[in-house]
Amino acid sequence: MTAPKPSFLNGLAASLPIVMGYLPIAFSFGVAATRAGFSATEAFALSMIIYAGASQFLALALLSSGAPVLISAFTLIAMNLRHVLYGPALMREAGDQASTRHAWAWAWGLTDEVFGQALGSLARGQRFSESYMFGLGLGAYAAWVLGTVAGALAGGGALEAWPAVSAGLGFMLPALFLALLLSILSRRQLPVIAVAGLGTVAGTLTLGATSGILLGMLAGALAGMARR
Amino acid sequence: MNGDLLTVALLAGAANWVFRALPVITRSDRMAPGGWLERFLSATGPAAIATLFVAAILPALTPDLRALLPVIAGTLAVLGVHAARRSVVGATLAGALVHGLAVWLLG
Repeated sequence: MTAPKPSFLNGLAASLPIVMGYLPIAFSFGVAATRAGFSATEAFALSMIIYAGASQFLALALLSSGAPVLISAFTLIAMNLRHVLYGPALMREAGDQASTRHAWAWAWGLTDEVFGQALGSLARGQRFSESYMFGLGLGAYAAWVLGTVAGALAGGGALEAWPAVSAGLGFMLPALFLALLLSILSRRQLPVIAVAGLGTVAGTLTLGATSGILLGMLAGALAGMARR
Repeated sequence: MNGDLLTVALLAGAANWVFRALPVITRSDRMAPGGWLERFLSATGPAAIATLFVAAILPALTPDLRALLPVIAGTLAVLGVHAARRSVVGATLAGALVHGLAVWLLG
């Protein structure tokens, strides 16, 4: 007997662990945005339009340091290029019969964590359904946007009396990058990661932070292309 | 609304939609694997994340041990929780929590 397809509510319930994780990170993004001089509306717009945590923090750093618009956009786009691999990996697991009629809407929510949760449920034998993907994605998206608004309304000065909390939230970004790095770490990717890291250090020390980021990404991607 | 911010957000957001939705809509998983494009795509993500981790941690590295200890503690927490739970969100929150606690304990 075939198991029933999971519903929208099943997806919403499956998003709860992601919601619990997203709320504090999004809150710290909202606080960081107002600290960097952006309004609550601008913080809301970044979360609503970009919806990619680590690159949003980077957007704040680039925009507040006066980096050129196209270089900032290119850096964010390069950073999120990894998402192009999530759809094929998910649909390969979902099977040839899986519907993608509404993918233009639900696939927008395929963040690192939503992808991980969806792929995990398919690997555990659950059937694929677009309703489930809508529920899973919507819960995470709502938490991200609402957390951002709460943090932005609390404001950059909200944590002045709490230096330890402020320091902890400030460490959220390197912690997030390190955790993402660990999640994709493999023997195959080690040369790419090492070359990118060394390129960043060399570029930052000789040319500056923004150039270091571009140089590191380019060096790592070229190292990946060169391998067989 | 800051015009530069809106431009960057719209460009990055549009690219995000293309990266996330287009491969699903076109069922690119049915295409033949291999080639330089696949190598480029599979390398760019890890390269970007490695770059951004290094860029984020570099300013925190200092010879002042009192300032460095919370960074070390937070980093170890991320490594430990990720090894135990394989959770990006859990490891991130643990790293931030331990870093904040270390700052509080060191006064």
